[in-house]
Amino acid sequence: MLFGRDKKNPIKIVDKKAAKWTYATCGYCSVGCSIEVATNIEGKVVGSRGVGGADVNRGKLCVKGIFEHELFDSAGRGDKPLIRAAINEGFRETTWDQAASHMATKINDIQQRYGRDAFAVVSTGQLLTEEFYTLGKLTRGLIGTNNYDGNTTLCMASAVSGYKRSFGSDGPPGCYEDFEHTGCLIAWGSNLPEQHPIIYWRLQEAREKRDFPLIVVDPRVTMLAQKADIHLAITPGTDLVLLNALAHVIINEGLHDKAYIDANTVGIEALTSEVQHYDPTTAAKLCGIDEDTIRNVARIYAKAPTAMSIWTMGINQSTHGSDGVVAINNLNLITANIGKPGGTSLSITGQCNAMGTREWSSCSGLPGYRQLENPEDREEIGHYWKVDPEFFPKKRGLAQTDIFPAIESGEIKGLWLVATNPMTSMPNTERMRKTLAKLDFLVVQDSYADVETNQYAHLYLPAATWAEKEGVFTNTERRVNIVRKVTDAPGESKADFEIFNLLAKQFEGSKAMSFPEQPQAAFEEMKTLSKGRLADISGMSHDLIEKQRGIQWPYTDEQASRGELPPAGGKRLYTTPASFRFADGKAKLIALPFINNNEVPDEQFPFWLNTGRLVEHFHTRTKTGKLGNTNKYSPIPFMEINPDAAQDLGIEQGEYVRCISRRGDAVVMAMLTQRVPRNMVFIPFHYFDCVNRLTLGLLDPHSRQPAYKQAAITIEILEDQQAAAQLSMEMRRF
Amino acid sequence: MFEVRSDEPKYAFLWDKETKANNIYGDSIDLASQQSDLYGESLHINGDAALGENPNRYKQHGFYLNADNCIGCHACEAACSEKNDNPAHISFRSVGYVEGGTYPDYQRLNISMACNHCDDPVCLKGCPTRAYTKYAEYGAVLQDPDICFGCGYCTWVCPYNAPQLDPVKGEVSKCNMCVDRLEVGLKPACVSACLGNALDFGVIENVPENRQECKTDIPGFPTADITHPNIRFQQSRQDKREMTRTDSMPLKYHKDDQNGKYQAVVDAKKGSKKHWNWKALLMTHESSHVIFTLATQAIVGAFILLVLGNFMAVPAFVAIKSSLAFVPLLIMMNLVLSYGLFKLNMHLGKPHRFYRGFYNLRHSPVSREIAGVSLFYGALLAYTFFSLLDLTLAATIVAVVGLISGPVGVFYMYKLYRIKARPFWDHWQTGTSFVANSLILGSLILAVAGLMSGVGTATLSVLLVCMLVGLLLEAVGHIGHANDLKSRQGEGAASWYEQTTKFGWPYIISNGLLGSALVLAAGLMLNPSSILGWLLLAVVITAQAAIRRSLFFALVIPTTMPGAFFWKNKGFEEHAKESGLAKMPQVGVEYERHRTFKFDELIATIKATTLKEAFEQTKSIFVWKSLNK
Repeated sequence: MLFGRDKKNPIKIVDKKAAKWTYATCGYCSVGCSIEVATNIEGKVVGSRGVGGADVNRGKLCVKGIFEHELFDSAGRGDKPLIRAAINEGFRETTWDQAASHMATKINDIQQRYGRDAFAVVSTGQLLTEEFYTLGKLTRGLIGTNNYDGNTTLCMASAVSGYKRSFGSDGPPGCYEDFEHTGCLIAWGSNLPEQHPIIYWRLQEAREKRDFPLIVVDPRVTMLAQKADIHLAITPGTDLVLLNALAHVIINEGLHDKAYIDANTVGIEALTSEVQHYDPTTAAKLCGIDEDTIRNVARIYAKAPTAMSIWTMGINQSTHGSDGVVAINNLNLITANIGKPGGTSLSITGQCNAMGTREWSSCSGLPGYRQLENPEDREEIGHYWKVDPEFFPKKRGLAQTDIFPAIESGEIKGLWLVATNPMTSMPNTERMRKTLAKLDFLVVQDSYADVETNQYAHLYLPAATWAEKEGVFTNTERRVNIVRKVTDAPGESKADFEIFNLLAKQFEGSKAMSFPEQPQAAFEEMKTLSKGRLADISGMSHDLIEKQRGIQWPYTDEQASRGELPPAGGKRLYTTPASFRFADGKAKLIALPFINNNEVPDEQFPFWLNTGRLVEHFHTRTKTGKLGNTNKYSPIPFMEINPDAAQDLGIEQGEYVRCISRRGDAVVMAMLTQRVPRNMVFIPFHYFDCVNRLTLGLLDPHSRQPAYKQAAITIEILEDQQAAAQLSMEMRRF
Repeated sequence: MFEVRSDEPKYAFLWDKETKANNIYGDSIDLASQQSDLYGESLHINGDAALGENPNRYKQHGFYLNADNCIGCHACEAACSEKNDNPAHISFRSVGYVEGGTYPDYQRLNISMACNHCDDPVCLKGCPTRAYTKYAEYGAVLQDPDICFGCGYCTWVCPYNAPQLDPVKGEVSKCNMCVDRLEVGLKPACVSACLGNALDFGVIENVPENRQECKTDIPGFPTADITHPNIRFQQSRQDKREMTRTDSMPLKYHKDDQNGKYQAVVDAKKGSKKHWNWKALLMTHESSHVIFTLATQAIVGAFILLVLGNFMAVPAFVAIKSSLAFVPLLIMMNLVLSYGLFKLNMHLGKPHRFYRGFYNLRHSPVSREIAGVSLFYGALLAYTFFSLLDLTLAATIVAVVGLISGPVGVFYMYKLYRIKARPFWDHWQTGTSFVANSLILGSLILAVAGLMSGVGTATLSVLLVCMLVGLLLEAVGHIGHANDLKSRQGEGAASWYEQTTKFGWPYIISNGLLGSALVLAAGLMLNPSSILGWLLLAVVITAQAAIRRSLFFALVIPTTMPGAFFWKNKGFEEHAKESGLAKMPQVGVEYERHRTFKFDELIATIKATTLKEAFEQTKSIFVWKSLNK
C-alpha cells in the first residue's frame, strides 16, 4: 500500500549552501586524511567532506574529522594574550608586542641567573611542519636551551628510539598499501577501529579482497581483537617476552631467512643466544599466552609469503617500549619483512604531525633527522642558519618527561608549553600540579584559553588552530600533505608560525638569521636541508602536494626535474639490499633481555589499570569535549570493569566508583563488560583530573616514554552517588 | 540537484542492476508503474523542479547492515548529523550494541539503525497531522516538520525509534533517506561514510557484493511483523547464547536453538527490590496524558450515565437531573473536561497548531480520538447551554451527539494505545480500564452532585452499583493483564519487572487502593448517604486512578533498539537530567521545554489561509490519495 498526499510541501533537506571547498589535511590523528572544508558565500564555515581522490582516505572521514569544521567556533578559544605576575592572580589582557617582549625578557633573566638550560621548551605534535622548523630555529639558534622536546615523548618516542636502534634512523618504512599485499598481519597493542578508523577501513577493504590471518595482541577484547582470527590476550607489560618467544621458535625451527639476515643485518648470534631464554614453555608462564599458540603464531608469521607488524601505544607506552619496537623490528628482519610490499614494521603514529616534529622540529636534535652529537650536522645547520655551530649543544638535552622532574628539582625555572596540556596528559597529575606551581615563569601557547594547564601559566598566547593557518603535516606513511587556510583565527589569535617569528625578533641574533614571513618560504628552507637525506622532500611544493593529495617522502628534486610525478601511494623505505642508515647499511639485530619492573597488582591494589583512546575524543578533549556531536558518545569518564569483579565489589552498572592507586584517586562511572578480564579495568585517558591521577608512568630507559598502561589500583564503592556525580561534574568544565 | 563530485569514490554510487519483483513479505518492490500519476513527478527538493534520473527511482529501497562488520565508530551517525545539520541531542541514525560471552571470548555486536522506510509505516498511519508521506520514489517515508505539531505519537508507534522528537524545537524530524543523493545515483551519506563496510543501501532484497545473507532479524531488532521494515541484515560470524544490553533497559536476548533466532527476555538488572520512585512516576511529561485521559473518561462516563439514564427514565438519574445540583454538575463537567483538553493541547510541541489534529481521520486513531472528544466537548457545552435555557429539543439533539461522540472518542483513545511496539499497552485491559474509569469516576461525579442536592439513598445506591461494576471490571482487567505480562517475554515482561521493582510500592499501593475501594463501595451500600464514607471513597478512588494511570505511562517499554552506554541510554539520560550534566549542551541530553501557545503564529496562519484553501484543506481530510497497487 502506498499513501500519498495530494498537496505536498516541497521536500526540505538541509542545504548548507557551500560556495567554496578548501583543501586541508585533518588535524587530529596521524592517519593524515584529506578533508575539504566548505564555506558559504559569506565565508562562514558550514561543512566538511573527505576528499574522494585522496589515496589515504579515499573520501572517508572518521567521526572527529566529519565535525572538525565545528572547531572554528567552539567554546573556550583564546582571543587575546593574557598575562599575570603570579598564578594566584587573575589574568589581564595584554598586547602581542608587550607579551613578546615580556617573554623574551623573562627568558633572558632566567638564563642569565640560572644558565641557558634553565628555560625549557616543550612542544607538540599538533603544529604544522613549517612551524616546527621555525620553533626549532628559534630554540636552537636564539634561545639556546638544550631542554627542548615535544609531547611526542608521550606517544611516539619508543617508536623513534626503536627505529633508530634497529635501522639507524627514524622513519616508518611501510605504508598503508602494505595491507593489500601482506600474507599475515600482527597488530601489537593497536586498536585501529577506535584509534585510526580510516586505517582500519583500508585494512577491512584489503581483507575483503583477499583473506589473510589477522592476529591481535591486546589484553583487552578491543573491536580489532574481536575481528581478529587469533586474539592473544596478553598479560600487560609482557610483549617483549612474547616477541622473544616468537623469535625463539622461528630461529630454532629454522624458519628465519638466513640469506636476508646475512646480507642485511648484524647481531644474529647475540639475538639467537638471548632468545634461548624464551622458549615457549617458559614464556607462556610470563606472558599468559599458551605455548602452542606461541608456536602457531610464530610459524604463521614466518611462513607467510610476506608479513607485517603494526603497533601503537600498547607497545610504545611501556617500561620496555623501545625494546618492544626493536623486538618487532627483529621479528621482521629475521623473516625478511622490511621494505617489501606487505612486509614491514609499521608504527601507527599518534598526533597529526608527530612525524613532522620528528623530522623538522630540532627537538632532541637538528632538522632533517640530524643529530646534535654529529659535528658535521651541527656545522651544516649552523652554516645554513647563520648560527655559530658552537652555540649548539653537543648532545641532546632532557626528554620531555625528564624536563618536569628537573622543574621539581629546581634546575629548570621557566617553561614554554606549545599546544600541549600536561595537566591532563602527563602521568601522576598531582605531581604535575606541584611541578608546574614551582615555575618562576610558564608560558602556555594554545588555541584554547581553558586548557587546564593554563591554571599555572604566567603568560598565555592564543594560537590559531588547524585550518586557520597554512602549512604541511607528515602522516604515518611519511606522506607530506597540506593544510590550506579556511578561515581566520578568532580575535587576536595568531598562527604559531607568526608567534615564533614575533618572538624571534626579540632576540638580537635574529637579525643575521632568516625568519621568513611566509610558511612557503620556510618550506623552501626545509627542502634545501632535506636534499640527499632520508626524508628528502626537495621535489615537493605546496601546490604539488595539494594536487597530488599528499606526497610520500622521499621525493627528490631530481625526480621532479625529470618530470617524474610522485606515486599516489605505496612508497617504502629500505627496499634495496643493505640500505639501512647505519654506516655499513646493515640493520641491527639486538638482544633484548626482559626485566619485569611493572607495578603489578597485589593484595592491596588488586586490579591492573589499562588506559586508552576512544574514537570520538582526541587527546585531552580540549577540542572534542566542546563539540556535542563527538562528546555525546562519552561525555564523562567511565571505567570498563568485568561484571564478575563488579559483583564481588557490589558495583552496579552506571554507578560512580572511586579508583585508588599509590599516586591518587579518580571518580569514574562503572561500565560492566566482559571486554576486560576480572583483574583489569580500562579507563580512557582523555579526561582531566581522572585516570592520570592514578597512572605511574615509569619511564622507558631508551625513549623516556611513560608506561601509562601498566599500573595497579584498587576500587571503592561510593555510598553517596549524588555527591560522586557532583564531584565528577565539577572536575571538568567541558 | 545534489552535486556529484568529479572524484566521487565508486563505493558511494548505487549498484543495483537487477531487482526482484516482490520483497520478503510478498509486497511489490515496484511502487509506481509508468501509467501511474505518481510517475515522473519531481520531488521538488528545496523547491528544485528537476527530475532525478535514477533508473530505480520507483523501487522500494532499504538499508543493509552487515552487523558482523560494524565497528561502532559513529561515522554513519556523524555523517548523517553533519549533512542534516542536527544538534547533538538529535540523531536520525544511532549505533547501539549488545554484548555476550565471557572474557576473552567476548563479542560486542554493534547495530546501526535509522528509519527503515517500512512497507507499512505505522508512523504515517498514526500521525494525526499527516506530516508523513510514503513516496513512490524509493519508497521513502518522509516527514515534514512544518506540518508536525509535536505530539510525538509517531515516536510511540515506531518500533525502531526512528522519528526523533526534539524537546527544544517541539517537533519531530527523521531520516530522509538522503533522497537528494539518491536522485543522482549516490548512496545515503551514512552508507558512504561507513568505515567497517557494514552499512549498505540499495533496492530491497538485493544483496550487496560479497555478502550472503538477507535476514530481517538480529539480536536486539524487534520483530519485522509490525511494520515490514525495509532493512536487511547479515550477522553470522559469532553467536553467543545470550546477548545483553549495556543500557538501562531490563532486557536481554536469548538464542532459541530451534530456529537460531533471538528472543527478548527480562534481564533483572536492578535486582528484585521494590522501590518508590514517586518523582519518576508522577512528575513526568506524560502527566498531561494522565490528566487528559482520566478527565475525559470521567466526564464521558458521567454524561452517558446522566443522559442515557434520563432517556431510559431510570429514576436515579432522573432525580439527579431534576435536582438543584444539575446545573452546577454540568458546569463542573465542563470545567473538568476543559482542563483535560487544555493539558493535552499544551503538552504538544506546538500547541498553536492544535487544529491539525484532525487531518488524519482516515488512518490515525489519534485524529479520531481528538475528533470524537472534541465533538463530545462541543456537545457537552451545547447541552449545558440549552439546558440552562431550557431548550429541551435542542438539548436532546446535542445529547444524542454527545452520546455517540463521547464513546467514539474513548474507543479511539483505547485504539490509539493498542500499539504493537508497546506490549504493555497492547492488551484488552487498556480497554477495560478506560471503560471502568468512565464508570467509576463518572459515578463519583454524579454522586458528588447527588450528595450536594440531597438526592435519596436509592439514587446513591444505583451510583454505587455502577461504581462497583467499574471497580470489578478494573480488577478483572488488572488480574488478566498481570497474568499475561508475567507469562510473556520481551518488553511486556520487562514492564512487569519494572512494575514489581522500580515502581513496586506504588503498584502495591494502587492494588491496595483498588481493593479498599471495592470494600468501601460495597460497605457504603449499607449506608449510601454517609458523607464521610463517600469522602473516603472519593479519595481512595482518585488516588487509585491517578497512580494507576501514571503507572500506565511510566511502565510502558517500547520495542526500541539497544542503546550504548551513554548515547541512547535512558538510564544515563535520566541521570544527566537529575544531576545537571544535561545543562552542558555537548552532553547531548535535552530537557523537556515549557510550551507556549503562539497566538501570533496561529493568527498569521489564519490570515495567510484563504477561504478556498481552508475548504480544500478540510476536503482533503475526507478525500485523499490512497493508492492500492
